[in-house]
Parts: sequence; structure tokens; C-alpha cells
Amino acid sequence: MRDSRTRSKGRWAAAPLLVFAVIVFGVPMLVLLGGTFTKEGTLSTANLTESLQGAYLTALVGSVKISALVAVLGGVLGTFLAQAVVTSRFRALREAVLTASGVLANFGGVPLAFAWIATLGNSGVVTTTLGLGQHGWNLYNFWGLTLVYLYFSIPLQVLTVVPALDGLRPQWREAAQNNGASTWQFWRYVGIPVLTPALLGGVVLLFGGAFSAYATAQAMVGSTVPLVTLKIADALTGNVLIGHENVALALSLDMIVVAGLVMAVYLPLQRRSARWLR
Amino acid sequence: MNGARVEFRGLRRRFGSTVALDGLDLTVEPGELIALLGPSGCGKTTALRCLAGFEQPDEGEVLVDGADITRVPANRRDAGMVFQSYSLFPNLNARDNVGFGLRVRKAPAAKRHARAQELLELVGLPSVGDRYPHQLSGGQQQRVALARALALEPRVLLLDEPLSALDAKVRVTLREEIRRLQLSLGITTIFVTHDQEEALSMADRVAVLREGRLEQVADPATLYDRPATPFVAEFVGAMNHLPGLVSGDRVTVLGQTLPVEGPSPDAARVDVLVRPEAVLVTPDGEGDGIVMVSSFRGSTARLRVRLGDGNEVLADVPGHDSARFAPGTAVRVGLVERPVLVSARPEAGAAAAVPEPDVV
Amino acid sequence: MASLTPQVSTQVTTQVTPGTVPARGGGRPRRPRVWRGVVLLLAAVYFLVPLIASFVFTVKAPGRGFSLDAYGQIFSAEGFGGSLLLSLGLGLATIALVLLLTLPAVVAVRLGAPRLRPVLEVVCTLPLVVPPITFVAGISTVLRWGPDYLASTPFYQTIIALQNPGFPVVLVLAYVVLALPFAYRSLDAGLGAIDVRTLTEAARNLGASWPHVLLRVIIPNMRSAMASASFLTLALVLGEFTIARLLSFETFPNWIYRISGSQAQVSVAVSVFSLLITWLLLLALSSAGARQRSGS
Repeated sequence: MRDSRTRSKGRWAAAPLLVFAVIVFGVPMLVLLGGTFTKEGTLSTANLTESLQGAYLTALVGSVKISALVAVLGGVLGTFLAQAVVTSRFRALREAVLTASGVLANFGGVPLAFAWIATLGNSGVVTTTLGLGQHGWNLYNFWGLTLVYLYFSIPLQVLTVVPALDGLRPQWREAAQNNGASTWQFWRYVGIPVLTPALLGGVVLLFGGAFSAYATAQAMVGSTVPLVTLKIADALTGNVLIGHENVALALSLDMIVVAGLVMAVYLPLQRRSARWLR
Repeated sequence: MNGARVEFRGLRRRFGSTVALDGLDLTVEPGELIALLGPSGCGKTTALRCLAGFEQPDEGEVLVDGADITRVPANRRDAGMVFQSYSLFPNLNARDNVGFGLRVRKAPAAKRHARAQELLELVGLPSVGDRYPHQLSGGQQQRVALARALALEPRVLLLDEPLSALDAKVRVTLREEIRRLQLSLGITTIFVTHDQEEALSMADRVAVLREGRLEQVADPATLYDRPATPFVAEFVGAMNHLPGLVSGDRVTVLGQTLPVEGPSPDAARVDVLVRPEAVLVTPDGEGDGIVMVSSFRGSTARLRVRLGDGNEVLADVPGHDSARFAPGTAVRVGLVERPVLVSARPEAGAAAAVPEPDVV
Repeated sequence: MASLTPQVSTQVTTQVTPGTVPARGGGRPRRPRVWRGVVLLLAAVYFLVPLIASFVFTVKAPGRGFSLDAYGQIFSAEGFGGSLLLSLGLGLATIALVLLLTLPAVVAVRLGAPRLRPVLEVVCTLPLVVPPITFVAGISTVLRWGPDYLASTPFYQTIIALQNPGFPVVLVLAYVVLALPFAYRSLDAGLGAIDVRTLTEAARNLGASWPHVLLRVIIPNMRSAMASASFLTLALVLGEFTIARLLSFETFPNWIYRISGSQAQVSVAVSVFSLLITWLLLLALSSAGARQRSGS
């Protein structure tokens, strides 16, 4: 009796959140979907087709490219940094790096762009001090943006991977040795396979972060690097031909599909990793 | 498979300011199961890890069949080890865990699988080959770990508290099974434990360690009946300390005069060490003892009896008699007529019954 | 990997110095690891140089050497106070709303309706999958369409009110969605740490009513989880640029962006300044977390 009452109350307590999510999140998403497939009042896939052609396609590919590059580089470098910290004897170093990672992983947006502009921009401190300008240095391109995106991606990878590295039990290494395995064989047969889900999970997160980044790119490169977020923003602020407004929505849908696919990879990995490193 | 002789010679190992091993000397005979028993921090695990190669002793050496293996890397030693818990590789199923050593040695897959299956059958798990560690119970995991440790046919088996993470029932079955396997394979086995019951019930001999040194090594019955030192007497089983007076080779305790076993200290006033089961209690309205607590343990009941002189003594009575010894019952207390151990009194007044907090 | 110097080297080092083993934390002998030093050094350079350079940039006045003028100008710059206050106000409103929505839901799922958990998990993961810019694309379309279809109904007034530039409620709503994943996770973890069921049953057993249980038993035990959810939300709102910019509201990050054209030094100074604020927020957060861990 009491139990069933508790249960129905439980549902009611969760109701406001669910209703809120349906209205504030669900309605815009539905409208997005509807708008994508509407052109001049009729059902059509023209927007979607247009969003996958020409400059729009270039931007989408550009976004995927930079995100993939950042994810892989950030994943590898972040893992090395994490391993350096985890195997360190100094407790304080570990704490410091983890705290700093927590902060830097959240350091995105406009301030990040400005910090780098002040450092390596055309009149940045490092640029002028080292005279990089004469050597053709330019921050405002694909590689410059990659460099900047790594600034929040590497810390994010550190945060993701450290728990996994901590979860590698010393018994596994010892059991492997006890069975005659060399250190390399331990890593090949046990260490790396056990870490893989966490590593890939981190890489996916980095991809997502770089893929949806807008503020940094807007503040740094404007439109010199083709990115899908910049195109969407352009279109939303009216920078498109009359009648093509809904292309922004189609581009958004493209993004959601890409992000969704990537996430679909991530969730099972995450689950497996949690099981192994429990 | 036959067992090797293992010798520890003067092993010393320090971790910072803690001394884990302080000159350990111990020889394990071929095919023997020896238990290293002691409180935590006594060095028993360190000794095992020196043998497995995970620790380097600061001094001393480890010999297997007369060969010094002290500096041999861990992955080239001929000793299989079972860890306390969670040592199975989580990314491999039971079969691949067992076959890991063969895979490292580049054995062909078919041979690996056949051998793994054989070993899984040996440990009583013929059908779990495809399961991953997280799909196995704790007891099953330890069986698989045992199979893995035996896969390379080592001449020494090392068990580092392999049962301590399991629940009571599984612990008992598994320890019987380990013993059965060990006897049938004839493999020299070193078993580290802090559980005296485990040590006494499984081992051919038990080595009691204290602060990195060997206190006594003997077969279980000797260890229990004739502990060489008061520490062993205390650590193995429960023990009463009763005040007694020595004269010659006899000691007077609780109004009885009994022969003294082994050496006795110089002083006349001593502690007489008596096991609870050697204390006889009978309900008697005239007796000067009173039952304070009675805890029923099935086959026996352990009584805590306060004596007229204020001392307390632990006594075991058969379980079916426990109803006659309800708390508050007046009892007469005596001792079984047999030689007893005596030790020097630590200090005046400190010598009542001894129980560790969890004994009653 | 270079961490995995072959075991052989261990033997060598121990043989060289037998008996004189220094204090060691664990079992395995330490070996020199050059690669670790190199990795840490490179990381330090990469992560510290932009911070230092930004600071140098702001204090290096042309021809005059060191000067903190840029920082002084922040406070007098047009729009600074207004945009910062707006962002803070939005942050507080978002925190209040997100806690109000999430806390009862999380408690309910733990206590009474475990079957709702997957639903809640999905709802609280989606905002992570959907990039904010696509979310704002949806929102702005709704806001644009709304007037067309709803002009004759009371909803029209609502939509207008949502976009009041003085306090754009629509931003609060959007930010709550963005903050949901973080709030849900911290609160759920906080609840997981205190065994709500036992606490609740104990309180109910002592005759407490449900609201009483929530207010007097659960919330006090979740203070640090709520603090962490609030800090994360605040940091998120203070840094959010995409949605505010595309809906044309001048929040703090948008103000920084706007002044960057005319006053580069000041905008970098504000960036450094806002990074400092985030540092402090998150440091407070992590030390609060550490305190709770050591306390429990």
C-alpha cells in the first residue's frame, strides 16, 4: 500500500522535469526537423540536399576534419600526459594537473580565442618576441584553430583517462609477469585492450567538443576556415538568400546526425569500460 | 608435475622505516603445503612476493631446488601465483585467462584451448570457458585464477590470501578443493593467510611469522598443542592466562597441581596457558565461578566465567550442554590433567583471561 | 610506450646498490623516466605560455612599459556592468530552476520510480549530443514562427515576454537544458553517496512527512552535491556565447566579443579576468568536493 503510493508520488516528482524537457528541448527540435523538410510551405528534401552541396558541404567536411584531428591528437597527447601524471611519485603534481585540467577543459569560448590571439596572433606577444611574422606564421587558419582547440581537448582527455589508468590493477601486471609475459606483452594483451574503451570514449568526447565549438572559431577566424557552426550562425543571422533560411536548420540536422552517430559509438564503449574497471 | 624445494635464506626487506622481512629463514620441502600465518604486516606476503619476483629482498636469497633465483625476473620464474582477488584479466574470457601463459609462449591456439579446458575441468568449472570475469562469482574467479596459475605446470604454487575475499561457505569448499588438487599434483605450495583456521586445516606445516621473523614452524597439531612461544600460543587459537606458582617441574593453578611442559621462567609466579577446551566447568551451586557470557557456536558453546578471585577464564562446553550454563549459573572450574605451558607474567595485575575482543 | 622500460633494467639498478635501498612507496623499483619529464615539460610550456603571454599582452602599454591600465579600463568600459549583471542574474535564475526541476526528479528515481531512470538518463544526455548551435537554431525558429501562428492568442504575449532584453527568460530556459546533464550527474552522484533509502525510511519511521524528509533530511545531506551542480551551472552560464549571440542578447561573453574590435587590450584583460573567475569557482568546487570525500 505504502509502496504503491510512494511509487506514484515518485512519478509526479519527476514530471516537471520531463514536461520541461519536452517543451523547451523537444519543441525546438521538432520545429528544426519540420523546418528542415519544409521549403516554401511544402514538404521537401531540397534544404537537406542543399546543405550537402557546395560551400555547405565544404564546411561540414571541414568541421569533421578538424574535429577528427583534434580528437586523435588530443587523445594521444592527453593519454601520455595522464600516464605521466599517474605514474608520478608526487601526489601534489597529480592533484595540480587534475585540478588544472578541470579548469582548462572548461576554458573555451571567446576568452580562449583572445588568449591565443594575444599570444600567437599577428601582434601577439610570442609572435612579436620571436619574430614569427617574418617566417609566415599565421594563427588564423586550420592548423592554428587545431592548436587552440587542443588547449581544452587535452585536459578533457586527461580527465577521462586518469580514472581508467588508475583502474589498471597492479595484480594484472603481476599476474601477467607471473605467466611469463614481458612488459610489452602485458600491454599488448591486457593493458591496451583494457584501456581502449576509455581512450576511445575520450576521443569521442573530444570530437564532440571540437565539432560543436562555435565561440572560439567565431572570435578567432571569423569565416576564413570553413566550419559548419559558422555557416549555421551566418544563415541564422540572415546572411542567406531569401527562401533559403531553412538551410540553417538542415545543416543543424546534419550536425545532430554526425554527433549522434559519434555518441552511438561512445555509449557502449563507456559501459564496457565501466564494467572492466569497476 | 612434481614439487621443488624452496629455501628462504636470511631474507631482509625494508619499506622506508618499516621492516617487512627481518632475516627470514625457512625451507619448504618438495610437495609440501606450507602456510605462512601471521598478523598483517608480519612480512608473510612480502616473503611470497620475493619468491614470485615482484619484490627484491635487500639481503638474503631465495633458492628453488638449490638454484639462487633472487635476481631472476618475475616473468622467468617457475612459480604460479593466485592473488587475493580481481586478478583475472577483465578483457579476456576464462579460457583465454587460463591460456594466457601459453599465448605469451606462442603456443598454437588449438593447444592453448585444449590445455585451458583441461585445467578448467581440473578446478571444477568445465563450462565457463566463454564467460568473462565479471560474469563469474568470486569463488569461480578464484578457481579460474588457480587454473591460470597451474597452466604452465609450475613447480611451486603461491597463494596470496586467495580466499579472504570470499564468503564463509565458499571459502571452506574452495580450501578443501585446493588441498585436494595440491595433493594430487604433488606441487610445492606456499599459502599466505591471516586466518589460523585456514592454515591449520589445510597445511602440512604452518609457519608463524612475526615482525618479519619466523616464530615457529610445525605441523598444525604441534603448533596448537605445543606452541613454542607465547606469541604463537596467543595467535593460534584462544588461550587463557591463569596465575600459577611453579615449584620444580610442577605448577599449581586453580588449586590443581599439573606438570609443566617445556621450559619455565625463573620466577615462581607465572602465567599458565590453558586452552578453553582444557577448562572443565560443571554446574555447582557451591562453585566459586559464575558464568558471565555464553556464546553458542553450534558444536560447542564458549563460556566466559568469572572466578572468585576476580580473574576470568574462557571455557568450551559441548553445544548440547549450553542450556545448563546460562549466564548467572554458578559453576565449579577445573583443568584437564595434562602438562601445561607456562610463561613469565607480563606484569602484576595484568593477567586475567586473555580474550581478544572478538573471542566471546 | 617508454614507461615500459624492460624489466631487465630493474635488475641492473638493484644489483648496483644492494642493501642500500631508499624509501620506496610501492613494490616496484623506480627507474629514471626521461620521457615523463619531457611530457610534463612540454605540457607546462603549452598550457602556461598562453596564460603568461595574455597577461604580458595586457600590461605592455606601447612605449610606456608596464601598466595595469587595461584592467582599470575594464570597470569603466561601457556595457561592462550591465552585461556582467545580466549574466550573473541569468546564472542565478538558471541555478534555481535547474535545481528545482532536477532534485525532486533525482530523488524520485532513486526512491520510488526506478523505471523512470533510463528516461531521465536519456533526457539528461541529449543536450550533450545536440550541439548548442543546433539547439539555438531550433529556438530561434520557434521564436520567429511563434508570432506568425500565435498572433491572436495569449501565447504571443508569452513569446514576447520571453525575449525581454532586460531579462531574457528564453536564455534561462535554454541554459537549464544545457545545464541538465551536469546538474543531474552531480545530484545523482551526491544521492548515491548518502544512501537515501535508508535515511528516508528512518525519517519516515520516526514520523516525518514527505516534504519534511525532503527539506530536513535529504537536502541538508546533499549540500555539497548541490553546490557542485550550482558552480558548474554558473560557470556554464558565465561562459556561454553561442545561444546569447545568435538570439542577440548582450551577455558578458558577448560584450567581450563586441569590445574586442575597438579595445583589444581590454578584451584580453577581461578574458584573463574571466579565466581567473572560472579558476576560483572550480577551485572552490574541487576543494569542496575534496572536503566532502574526506568527511564521509
